[in-house]
Amino acid sequence: MISKRMKKTFLTPLGKENPVFVQILGICSTLAVTNKLENTVVMTLGVLFTTMFSSFTLSLIRKFIPSRIRMIVETMVIATFVIIVDIVLKAYIPDVWKQLGPYVGLIITNCIIMGRAEAFALNNTPGLSLIDGLASGIGYSYVLLIIAFFRELLGTGTLWGVQILGDWWVNWSIMIMPPGAFFMLAIFIWIVKETFMTEKKEASNE
Amino acid sequence: MNSAYYPIAVFFAAIFTNNILLTNYLGMCSFLSVSRELKTSVGLGIAVTFVMASTTVLNWLAYTYILIPFGLFYLRYIVFIIIIAAFVQLVEMIIERTSEGLYAALGIFLPLITVNCAILGVSLFMVIRDYSLLTSFFFGLGSGLGWFLAILAMAGIRQKLVKAKVPAGLEGAGITLIIAGIMALAFMGFSGMITIS
Amino acid sequence: MKKDGFYALRIYPLVFMLMVTVVCISIVTGLFLSTKERVEANEGLFLRKTILQAANIPYPDDFREVTALYEASVTEVSDGQLYYRVAQPDGSFTYVVPIEGAGLWGAISLLVGFTESLDELTGIGIFSQNETPGLGARIEEEWYRMQFVGKRGPFVLVDEGMADAPDEIDAITGATRTSLAMRDIINEAVTLGPAIVRGQ
Repeated sequence: MISKRMKKTFLTPLGKENPVFVQILGICSTLAVTNKLENTVVMTLGVLFTTMFSSFTLSLIRKFIPSRIRMIVETMVIATFVIIVDIVLKAYIPDVWKQLGPYVGLIITNCIIMGRAEAFALNNTPGLSLIDGLASGIGYSYVLLIIAFFRELLGTGTLWGVQILGDWWVNWSIMIMPPGAFFMLAIFIWIVKETFMTEKKEASNE
Repeated sequence: MNSAYYPIAVFFAAIFTNNILLTNYLGMCSFLSVSRELKTSVGLGIAVTFVMASTTVLNWLAYTYILIPFGLFYLRYIVFIIIIAAFVQLVEMIIERTSEGLYAALGIFLPLITVNCAILGVSLFMVIRDYSLLTSFFFGLGSGLGWFLAILAMAGIRQKLVKAKVPAGLEGAGITLIIAGIMALAFMGFSGMITIS
Repeated sequence: MKKDGFYALRIYPLVFMLMVTVVCISIVTGLFLSTKERVEANEGLFLRKTILQAANIPYPDDFREVTALYEASVTEVSDGQLYYRVAQPDGSFTYVVPIEGAGLWGAISLLVGFTESLDELTGIGIFSQNETPGLGARIEEEWYRMQFVGKRGPFVLVDEGMADAPDEIDAITGATRTSLAMRDIINEAVTLGPAIVRGQ
């Protein structure tokens, strides 16, 4: 049974309250690896896993957490899930793990995870928190995947390491360099905001 | 790598050629939200630099003398983040009791720092790159100053930008990111300034 | 009020934190121990693959086949300094020497392969590096590694995609420091490698 509340919990972070382009949260750790699609996919899956299960776990024990040490308990739980991601990656896809370097560990300080725990998981049931975590994670992931798609395609003419664009294509090296990520994200936010804002204006005119 | 100049080279590289904010995108959250005003940016910048330089040293000691000898290096994420959180809390308590002026200036920024990814990031980079204690300290200090420099420049630009006309969709985060992109381009001009060898 | 009591304010948070810590650390430790063997096997496999890369011997994906191929063709020699002697499919012998040098951010450790006459490279393999992901870290990519095959050092750098002469190697766009570091490390290897093999 899918209740209305569940549906709402799931859909809000995907659009109107998307953590990346509305709240601009949590881009730090992943933006750095968006110059390759493969790394971005692995990284966003790691974030997704951590957000979901840390929200779920914290919601399970929410009634027992003493409020004074709330933050440190949250950090502890999040760090545990991040270490799980790190160990699993190291054991099963060592090549990608090596390329990601310290960025897996930096998922701990991803503001989205802590933010969702504080704002949602501590006041809601485990089931809803899991859905909220999943939705926030997806809302975050797809934005970064779109950025990674364009950065890798324009920057090296490849996708997932496979040559897509032919010899005629001159690589935009700037795309895989640091400024490329800033420009791509800004352009993306611009396009999304323009679309959303015109919708809002129309709605208020009615 | 073992030359006496190496820590100094890492120090300058961390400020200019490989600025932690502009090339590794660490500490973006507070960068985007706090860079509106020059005064607050200075406060946050000083606090970040101080905490970064101190925690890299503490984390280095914990890693080298506790985690490695006991084979517990896989716990480093938990240990590092807790050392950072505890250190920030401690500093907050000390300056609250000793200096009212300093507390008024920096106090509100300290809680923000624990979740600043740049702080944890510097400690993780230090471990992966196998730095010595001295190099780690200079790396932490340089990264902090680099972050400070970036947020200071951004706040200066954004204060002037208040009067400028920006397309509605780009207001706030959008334009800040574009400026950060241009700053990153400018900072790329520093590459070649320092040779680490 | 009981809520403000000594127990609720001091003891309970401490006990709770201790419990959370114990649970978290046991989970992580359990997972670490259960994957330890696999991680070590991965590392061993990775070294073998890197040596085969440096010797320019194509290797299969399968774990067992790589091990079999490695054991059939590579012999470790450690009189003085460690190097590897590789039996090529055509019957000739080539050599692979481990070399380490400073990159932009930390040590780059790599394996450099030499032909039997020790004057040409058979290739290189990157064992570990800490360069910037997507920029300097591209030294691990195949196109970069393959450009050393059959080349003769000492090398000079040219822009990415322009290398032509036997002593030219492509730099990586946006990773000038890493490219320079690689040039220096490999140029050093070109003189150091043969000396190690000859036992000097």
